Amino acid sequence: MHNNLDINIHHITRVEGHGNIVVNVKNGKIEKLQWQVPEAPRFFEAMVRGHSYQDIQTIVSRICGICSITHSLAATKAVEAALGIKVSEQADKLRILMHYSEQLQSHTLHVGYLAVPDFFGTPSVVPLVTRVADAVKTIVKAHRIANNWSDLIAGRTTHPVTLIPGGLTRTPTEKQLRQLQQTLKDAVPDLKKIAEVVLSVAANIPKFERPTEYVSLKQTNPPTYTFYHGGITSNDNKGAALPIEKWHDVANEYVVEQSTAKWAKWHRDACAVGALARFNNNAELLSPMAKDAAKMFGLQKGCCNPYMNTVAQLVECFHIVETSIDLIDQLLVRGLKAEKVTSSPKAGKGAGCVEAPRGILFHEYEFDKKGNCVAADICIPTNHNHANIQKDFEKLLPEILDQSEKDIRLKLEMLVRAYDPCISCSTHFLDVQFVR
Amino acid sequence: MTDQTHRKNVVVIGLGNPLLSDEGIGVHLIRKLSEHQDKFPSVEFIDAGTGGMNVLHLIANRKKAVIIDCVKTGKKPGTIKQFEPADVQTTKKMTHFSLHEADILRIIELSRQLGECPDQIVIFGIEPESLELGQSLSRTLTNKIDLYMDTISKSFS
Repeated sequence: MHNNLDINIHHITRVEGHGNIVVNVKNGKIEKLQWQVPEAPRFFEAMVRGHSYQDIQTIVSRICGICSITHSLAATKAVEAALGIKVSEQADKLRILMHYSEQLQSHTLHVGYLAVPDFFGTPSVVPLVTRVADAVKTIVKAHRIANNWSDLIAGRTTHPVTLIPGGLTRTPTEKQLRQLQQTLKDAVPDLKKIAEVVLSVAANIPKFERPTEYVSLKQTNPPTYTFYHGGITSNDNKGAALPIEKWHDVANEYVVEQSTAKWAKWHRDACAVGALARFNNNAELLSPMAKDAAKMFGLQKGCCNPYMNTVAQLVECFHIVETSIDLIDQLLVRGLKAEKVTSSPKAGKGAGCVEAPRGILFHEYEFDKKGNCVAADICIPTNHNHANIQKDFEKLLPEILDQSEKDIRLKLEMLVRAYDPCISCSTHFLDVQFVR
Repeated sequence: MTDQTHRKNVVVIGLGNPLLSDEGIGVHLIRKLSEHQDKFPSVEFIDAGTGGMNVLHLIANRKKAVIIDCVKTGKKPGTIKQFEPADVQTTKKMTHFSLHEADILRIIELSRQLGECPDQIVIFGIEPESLELGQSLSRTLTNKIDLYMDTISKSFS
């Protein structure tokens, strides 16, 4: 038990953006324990005002380099809701296929490059190349497959160019989809290999639980483990799903002194979003291979160990690949055809929602009669998780205060990383010093 | 699907966020250079935006990679500096793989360890004047676009 402890982790590593962990324990009493987000707000909502409804998805795709397809899809859905634009069944399926590619990109990246080094006790993935070379190469291969998949459907790995209100500018050929389908079938053994590697070090995933409200999309018609359609639900909402237009009732954003990012809550004083939230609300709808993967790790519906979010992401990788193989079959059976997309401006307001890899994402826009944006509101998933990280800290620290300072630091850092937070979503400039 | 075995030998990658003024100089220059694709048939120009870790895949098994990015070294805004990975050390020692900050030097290190790194990597860093919210470059950088294009395109061969 530490009588005195002073931890200041400035800019926690292996998360996207800047967050700090501050712990002060004096005479055995926790005096300060904070998850801080010090980054300057970006005000992207102001940037889209005045722009045409046709340009919104292109601009917001630059908010994030990891979730760019997700941001574009949420924006496109919001624009279509505002202007009453309909989307064909083919375009809808292709968009879901596009969305899956980004989920796989992001999940393999987080599980493989960012989270797993903790389970192996290494500071990054680089030392793992010599320790478990095959495993790292398999992770890189899976990530590369996901990237190429995005290239095919979205036109680019990041910042998609094929999405427009009403549909897509480009339809892949049947041959391209068959090739993709075969690649995904061939990737299944690789995913199993990755799962086995993670399982081999899963004993290093901390055992910690805190009853939590989990918020995600829920689709009932047809029942689907959804990332794209449906309403908003939580384990506190008695199985009911709210329409997307009611997202403000779910987000309830508020400001706290320790964070430049807004926090959010629904029924409780905090809530969690992301893979574990989706799993907890929809696990029975996972694909067979995903259910098997969950069983491998003993992951069951109702799990409230936030560290298991990484495992839930891995489980979702199986679901994404297996479901996409089936989705391609559906597209091929009905036959692909080039679709001409037209839309016209009008005044309106609409909301769009999709699941980003790291949790539920809301976009809302209002347009004047010329179709120019007059108001925008975006609520990113990490904002939902900030308060929950803080609440987890408050339960976790007293439970581990008898451990070494090194272990305490590691467990707090791992907890933040488990949420796969995306803090800055915007800027990256290279910061170097010349050595010669 | 992109066929990695039939890719062009030289890749030119522009990094940055074009919503943050000069931070997006890499992306702006890729757009300009792409207009002259016919002059450089063996070169692939890629706007990689802020998808940092994806650079690992974009450079894999090429002969040469040219990376254009906004870089802060304290020099006069608008300055363009050419360097190689060995010339610099990252100041983000704590970052490891913080994706939005695209710790390019560590990505190159991983690429080397995987045995798929290009023989030659050239990085062009351009010192920003403004990182404010906005889709336009500062006047200082705008006035030097032709100079940047000339300097960078000389490195393709």
